[in-house]
Amino acid sequence: MNSLVEYFETDWQAMTINDWVGTILTIVIFLLMVVAYFQVFRPKNRERLEAKKHIPFDEDNE
Amino acid sequence: MQASLEQKYNLEIVRWFTIMAAIYLVVGAAVGVYIASELAWPFLNFDTPYISFGRLRPVHTNAVIFAFGGCTLMATAFYTVQRTCGVRLWSDKMARFTFWGWNAVIVLAVLTLPFGITQSKEYAELEWPIDILIAVVWLSFTINFLMTIATRKTSHIYVSNWFFLGMMVMIVYLHVVNSLAIPVGLFKSYSIFSGVQDAMIQWWWGHNAVGFYLTAGFLGIMYYFVPKQAGRPIYSYRLSVIHFWALMFGYVWLGAHHLQYTALPDWTGSLGAAVSIAMIIPSWGGAVNGMMTLSGAWDRLRTDYVLRFLIIALAFYAMSTFEGPVMALKTVNALSHYTDWTIGHVHSGALGWVAGISIGAIYHLMTRLYHTEMFSERLINFHFWTATIGTVIYIVAMWVSGIMQGLMWRAYDEYGTLAYTFVESVDAMHPYYAMRAVGGMIFLLGAVVMLFNVLMTVRKSVVSGSLDKARAVPAAA
Repeated sequence: MNSLVEYFETDWQAMTINDWVGTILTIVIFLLMVVAYFQVFRPKNRERLEAKKHIPFDEDNE
Repeated sequence: MQASLEQKYNLEIVRWFTIMAAIYLVVGAAVGVYIASELAWPFLNFDTPYISFGRLRPVHTNAVIFAFGGCTLMATAFYTVQRTCGVRLWSDKMARFTFWGWNAVIVLAVLTLPFGITQSKEYAELEWPIDILIAVVWLSFTINFLMTIATRKTSHIYVSNWFFLGMMVMIVYLHVVNSLAIPVGLFKSYSIFSGVQDAMIQWWWGHNAVGFYLTAGFLGIMYYFVPKQAGRPIYSYRLSVIHFWALMFGYVWLGAHHLQYTALPDWTGSLGAAVSIAMIIPSWGGAVNGMMTLSGAWDRLRTDYVLRFLIIALAFYAMSTFEGPVMALKTVNALSHYTDWTIGHVHSGALGWVAGISIGAIYHLMTRLYHTEMFSERLINFHFWTATIGTVIYIVAMWVSGIMQGLMWRAYDEYGTLAYTFVESVDAMHPYYAMRAVGGMIFLLGAVVMLFNVLMTVRKSVVSGSLDKARAVPAAA
């Protein structure tokens, strides 16, 4: 456990602006992915989303 | 009814790109076979610098990736965006500019690379004036695509267009940043980056060229052409949405796994490897989504040779997207990096996935663009087997060769001395290099057969007048 704590130890004082931009972007993208997973797999949205898969067959009759 | 499509949509530009893709596959694969043969039988250099491996290798990669791959992407993107949006391309002139501009880039590549005019950046070798032309042409392609979507008649943008657009936007960004250079003459420039930053930018571009150009773009092809050829909608649209966003957000992190055990900070490589492993999930989700589209209709594979190409491509996609993350792990990378295993991995993706899905799409397009059946179904079947067998021989040769190289380079005796000299490892590679060349020749044979079949189909269309008849039918028919 100690080694894990050491592994994740961060010197917050040493963080540069670039480090903060990267960290914040990473967390925001992670949260957006969580929202995307939730929305896509929410049972309520199933029918609405799956209806789109027929678009290639809605083209002019071939 | 189909005939009216000729008036409603710009299929002419799709025809041009499709034919050029078939031609460039032969050219690119032929150069590949030649340089593979040079490695097996070095006398083929003929002591001429212009055809040496170092000069011709970028000609091969540019021909297959940007000439063949680019023309396939442009043909399929222009076709699917029109068909799924129900509108003609926003600008016919811009589409023609894209065609001629892209082909000019390819000609300029052939005219510069054999003469050693290069920036020496992998998959971005072309000098700065050509880089500017690439950016302008690619932007015209992107703007035309985007504006076609903006003027669509449908409410929803079908997922294949998302993949194409994701590729276009990211390639603009990647190409421009990676190509930033200080020109010192018309044919020479130096990157504005240096040292480890240059390496990181290079592989940020290099792996994202794989991720966005060779994966996202060709997934756009998959999400339209697999359902169309199978005659069934994609297995799960929800999975395709997650596939898209996970790919867009995930791929940009991977480049650092190309620089394990280098001057790059250790954590960067670890992060690249960790996200590479995480990417197996969306990649396999996408592959399963494509394959399961055939659920309940697997028997179609017995008779539909085009569908075979599309589905076997997905099998190679699944295999490559598992193998890549495994190779990104530091322990495996310590053995695999700088060896032929990497070449085997790249070609299982390039020949199996990219070429496979492209070939399937080209055959599908030919019948719709020329309003006739293919000249020979048997030749498509023949092509399928030559492409598959050639690919398997190629990648098996490189796997064996690569793992052997890695093991020979790290072997040492009881005194801690290296067990083999480098030249001994080169000598041990000879049978596998010959085997690779043979695999490539078999694949090339299939490409030549496809070109013949494509040209004969065009001829058949001209002789029967099917295209002329389609053009003559009024749009309202």
